Amino acid sequence: MRENMKENQKQYWRSLDERADTPEFREIVEREFPEGASELKNPVTRRNFLGLMGASIAFAGLASCRRPVEKIVPFVKAPENMIPGVPKYYATTFTQGRHALGVLVESHEGRPTKIEGNPEHPESLGKTNIFTQADVLNMYDPDRAQEVSLDGVQSTWQAFGSFWKEQHAAFKKDKGRGLAILSGEFASPSLKKLYDQLKKEMPLAAWHVNEPVSEMNMHKGLKAATGKSVQAYPHYEKARVVLSIDHDFLGATPGNVSANRGFAEGRRTEDEHDTMNRLYMVETSFSVTGGMADHRKRLTQGGLEVFTRQLAAALGVIDDGAEAVESKWMHALVNDLKKNKGASLVVAGLRQGAATHALVFAINEVLGNNGVTVDYYDNPDVVLQSESIQALADKMKAGEVKTLVILDRNPVYTASSIDFAGALGKVEHVIALSSYWDETGHAANWHIPMSHFLESWGDATDVRGNRSVIQPLIQPLYNTVSMTAFVNFIVTGNEVKDSDVVKQTWGAKDNDKNWRRILYKGYSASTLKPVKVRARSGAIAGLVKASSVSAGKPSTSAMDVVIQPSSSLYDGRYANNGWLMEVPDPVTHLSWDNAALMSTATAEKLGVGNEDVITLSAGGKELEIAVSVLPGVADNVIALELGYGRQKVGRIANGSGFDVYGFMSAPEVYSLSGVSVSKTGRSYPLANTQDHNSMEGRPIILEADLEEYRKEPEFAKEAVEHPPLVSLWDERKYDHGYQWGMTIDLSTCSGCNTCVVACQAENNIPIIGKEEVKKGREMHWIRLDRYFKGDPDNPDMLFQPLGCQHCENAPCEQVCPVQATLHDEEGLNVMTYNRCVGTRYCANNCPYKVRRFNFFNFTNSYPETIKMVQNPDVTVRFRGVMEKCTYCTQRIQEAKINAKNEGRIVADGEIQTACQQACPADSIVFGNILDPESRVAKLKKQNREYKLLVELNIKPRTSFLARIKNPNPEMETVA
Amino acid sequence: MSKEVDAGYDYQVPLITGNQTFSSITDKISSIVESKTSKEWALLFGLASSLMMVLLGSIGYLIWEGIGIWGVNNPVGWGWAIVNFVFWVGIGHAGTLISAVLFLFRQKWRTSINRFAEAMTIFAVICALVFPGIHVGRVWAVYYFFPIPNQMDMWPNFRSPLLWDFFAVGTYFTVSLLFWYTGLVPDLATLRDRAKTAIRKKVLAIFALGWRGGNKQWKHYELAYLLLAGLSTPLVLSVHSVVSTDFATAVIPGWHTTIFPPYFVAGAIFSGFAMVMTLALIARRIYHLEHILTLTHLDNMNKIILTTGMMVGYAYSMEFFIAWYSGNPYESFIFVQRAFGQYAWAYWTMITCNVFIPQIFWSRKMRRSIPVMFVVSIFVNIGMWFERFVIIATSLSQDFLPSSWDYFSPTIWDVSLLVGSFGLFFTLFLLFIRHLPMVAMAEIKGVLPQADPHHAHEGETH
Repeated sequence: MRENMKENQKQYWRSLDERADTPEFREIVEREFPEGASELKNPVTRRNFLGLMGASIAFAGLASCRRPVEKIVPFVKAPENMIPGVPKYYATTFTQGRHALGVLVESHEGRPTKIEGNPEHPESLGKTNIFTQADVLNMYDPDRAQEVSLDGVQSTWQAFGSFWKEQHAAFKKDKGRGLAILSGEFASPSLKKLYDQLKKEMPLAAWHVNEPVSEMNMHKGLKAATGKSVQAYPHYEKARVVLSIDHDFLGATPGNVSANRGFAEGRRTEDEHDTMNRLYMVETSFSVTGGMADHRKRLTQGGLEVFTRQLAAALGVIDDGAEAVESKWMHALVNDLKKNKGASLVVAGLRQGAATHALVFAINEVLGNNGVTVDYYDNPDVVLQSESIQALADKMKAGEVKTLVILDRNPVYTASSIDFAGALGKVEHVIALSSYWDETGHAANWHIPMSHFLESWGDATDVRGNRSVIQPLIQPLYNTVSMTAFVNFIVTGNEVKDSDVVKQTWGAKDNDKNWRRILYKGYSASTLKPVKVRARSGAIAGLVKASSVSAGKPSTSAMDVVIQPSSSLYDGRYANNGWLMEVPDPVTHLSWDNAALMSTATAEKLGVGNEDVITLSAGGKELEIAVSVLPGVADNVIALELGYGRQKVGRIANGSGFDVYGFMSAPEVYSLSGVSVSKTGRSYPLANTQDHNSMEGRPIILEADLEEYRKEPEFAKEAVEHPPLVSLWDERKYDHGYQWGMTIDLSTCSGCNTCVVACQAENNIPIIGKEEVKKGREMHWIRLDRYFKGDPDNPDMLFQPLGCQHCENAPCEQVCPVQATLHDEEGLNVMTYNRCVGTRYCANNCPYKVRRFNFFNFTNSYPETIKMVQNPDVTVRFRGVMEKCTYCTQRIQEAKINAKNEGRIVADGEIQTACQQACPADSIVFGNILDPESRVAKLKKQNREYKLLVELNIKPRTSFLARIKNPNPEMETVA
Repeated sequence: MSKEVDAGYDYQVPLITGNQTFSSITDKISSIVESKTSKEWALLFGLASSLMMVLLGSIGYLIWEGIGIWGVNNPVGWGWAIVNFVFWVGIGHAGTLISAVLFLFRQKWRTSINRFAEAMTIFAVICALVFPGIHVGRVWAVYYFFPIPNQMDMWPNFRSPLLWDFFAVGTYFTVSLLFWYTGLVPDLATLRDRAKTAIRKKVLAIFALGWRGGNKQWKHYELAYLLLAGLSTPLVLSVHSVVSTDFATAVIPGWHTTIFPPYFVAGAIFSGFAMVMTLALIARRIYHLEHILTLTHLDNMNKIILTTGMMVGYAYSMEFFIAWYSGNPYESFIFVQRAFGQYAWAYWTMITCNVFIPQIFWSRKMRRSIPVMFVVSIFVNIGMWFERFVIIATSLSQDFLPSSWDYFSPTIWDVSLLVGSFGLFFTLFLLFIRHLPMVAMAEIKGVLPQADPHHAHEGETH
């Protein structure tokens, strides 16, 4: 495969000038890349090169900044099995901190365009999350750092190499005194090996681990409770009752793929006799997990800790729970948990203290959940955060750090609350490896551009110990270095290719069959067994005693603040990713910004509304931020999102939103109390893609409690009364061949947004910028509608992914004056972009408003590299034409062609739309509705099935499965 | 006028006052065309053509940049461009109505106003036609609308109301132009005969089509005029009915209603008469046509404004009634929103201008007061523009799924196109009154007392 990769690379030339072979260009080549010049002068090679490569003109221009390539030769010998136009898939691994997800990457003529889950990888099983879907765009980001720099001036890797070799030798002699390394959490055999090597060879060197969105308290709590450094792995599919203490496990959290899958498995119902799980959620802010909850309670940060102790006391975990359990809510919950011993699950979020996490472990033990619904793994490849970054900063300030190597971290931004930049001033040499010349890069002496994971070799281990290989799909676009090669160089002082580092770790040889198999499959199955851990009640009690809690009484003069990762940018690492920047937050529906989220009552008390700028102040720090009212946040609490307000990243990130890191009291502390709020009188425009939050009593998302569903199984069918539906025209029968249709299960859709970004990646959907989004011109083909329902202070939150419904009797088609939108024989509502004149009449007449118009030439200003991420199977649209969801017609065509070539019909499940393929909850199912054996046809027969706006007689092909909730009957008496 | 009697039905009440003779009429009207360019005209023309340049500039920028320069967005796909289109088509209604329908009904009072009402129609339709052309996303592909036979067998979609529009407005424009031109022929011949320079004579001779005023020519002329009037009459009803189907055939609440065709026609006549009134009052003042365009004419027009105003008022209330009576929650929601929602300001502007203000014409005194009718006609023009805005913006902004609801805010380019379209209209209109007889001389002569064979010459004793 690696050989193929190399071959693939060779089709690129450095620029159009090179193709034209102008004298000027030769001169440049000879000056810059002497070893390539002779090739260009060889007429035979060049002629072949030009002759064979003429078709690939789209790739020109890519290359101006590439590393010198040893040879430029065309496909004189084409790589095996490479057919132009037919994509290939390679297995690699997507990592986020300690989490790893096996992925398959689609590659068009050597150009990775789309990341999908690896169906064989146990963590992914073919599914992905929003970050995985968007990460491919990061690789093509034109704002990436492209060259090594020293004190802001372009330098070379060679220069850094000789610098570090000297340093390394000195440090080695000194046992590493004065050397500090800062990295994120990781779970990687190769990196762990190097980590251990450093610890051994340079025992005095410090290796600090920091995650800006840190699960440190979780690790600490587990360690205290069990005495071992273990990671929890919840099996949501096995839990009948789940209690989440402020843990947004379905939302944009690493590890949410298996969580969504498992939770959906426990929640899915086939008919009214089926059972389903029940979710209790206590939280401060309002997360998508909270939206999924059957019972949700708003508590303050302190209130959550008190709640956990009360729960522990009620379950007999600790006995010093002096506070009596006063609430009926708690009673009902405790009874429900006790009834489901061994089939319940309690999880807690990263804002909770170590004591809470320890208690959660003990509660799970009392409930008999440990080893059943949650396993614990002691993964040898993992390095977890064990102390605050404050410790490193203190060392730096004390002058104990001479050289600091920062591995893909941005502490100047993420640890600005403790003035990390100031501490950097005390360090002699700062070496930063990162993808962007970011805030830390600017402050560093040496900045080394890091390769994207699609350009790198490496390896990773998931929580359960499945080891997988990160293998590159493309040679680095720029002069970048992979994490593995860099860490190896830092630790050993030897320049070794990253592929060799990995092969060495895995003990692989070039023609090793087993190694090839691993590369092909993407992973090698885990041999790790869950560890049996017991709660050390003494340690837990000690921890609980050591941290006193109080629910606190936040008021408008002394408010609480909770800080959470952004659902799109996470800790800020995706800030320059246009897809993630523009995708509306599923809960707030804000695009391009974060905001101060507060409940309606709080906003009223403060006398502020949406877009008003307020100043928060606490502990001598101030933050100016715009307000966005979000019903359901705990009263007198403001929720803030990390990841925004960047200054030095790139064109997307800079200036978008507000930097919350600087306002934190300390890194890894995600809540504040006693915050005062003052109005500034100014306002700041926020681009919100959904202005109206109520369904206005319309039958849009149909919902019933399990009990109601059992009483009235046909409730979804009977929700809309309408006169007999008669069509004006003779209707087409659509009774033979393939008839495509879709179902979306609203019971299991958590609102994680993955489908929206997957669709964007698959279908070349442009990003349009904040101004345009604010005008209401967002282009997403599938959007995630969010409605609130019930009590305006503590509402239910409901999600509905909505793309083109492919109406058989489509209103858009009737009104198009030029027949640019039509029905095909297979029931698809198809767009002919070339024929479209752009009257926008179809969009007006679409009752779902899912059609998208190119108001400007949004794709015109794409940088060259962004053009490369476009899917060649999908037309890039010009301004003035309408576009919309096609049910991924390119995938349908591909499958049909394959089936035809093989003389068979398309099998069920062979075609997956991009949204369906990505959906970790498997809520979206697509297929032939005429085939009674197909999954989609079976789902359409369920009694929960309904079609939106059926009374218009438009016959949509997409059905929804009504949302069923499973509230605790005992709770009904609880207010 | 000596007697305070409503005119129009009674030959005994003169339509034209001031003791006009055939030659005085000819002199009076031709002199406007033949005299030197007045300063007032030059000033107005300068103003109007500057505004027209605003239109052309805006169109240029629009085509360069894209539809995005407007305020249109996802739920509200049509904005001011379509509002302006429907508005101008509506304005264009009065001309044909006055010319054709009143002609067929032998309403002799029409003769004083029909020429420039017709001209107004044509210019208004030109203004209207600008908008469908430029409001599409890809102007350069607009020929896909035309049913051009082609080897790919690609035809326009004959089920689409936009295509019906294209034919309806196109037909209306063609017939109106022919009708107007036919009526102009005798007057062009008069001008030709009075022309002092050779070039002027030659040009006018070409357009006068060899008119000599012979009996045979008059006979053919009258027949042709009658036939064209007959042909135009259904168009008065059809064109705005078809325009209304742009909305009525859509599924969108607030659009999907069968009342639209008659309601739109009434509204069109209403707005058309108001615009004729506005223009007539200005021309009457500047060119001293008080004797030709008498208070009687204006009074009659005000009655039509009052009547059609009440018709649209009835339509507004009937829409509300049906929205409630239908039991369709989407429909009733949108109407409540119109009156009390985010666009309530536009709705009440419309109601005030179209329904309340014209009620003043119940008073005969007000009907005959020049300042009052001028102000009312302006209000009606504003109100009718808002009617189209209310229909388009409110319905689109809040349709079935609340998640996609959004508000439409115009940009400077929306405004510049509206203002610019007035520039185009007035430029054309000013060119018309400068170069062509704005009152139909031949027809006016036909309603002079002298034209009546039974004329007892008592008029001379006035």
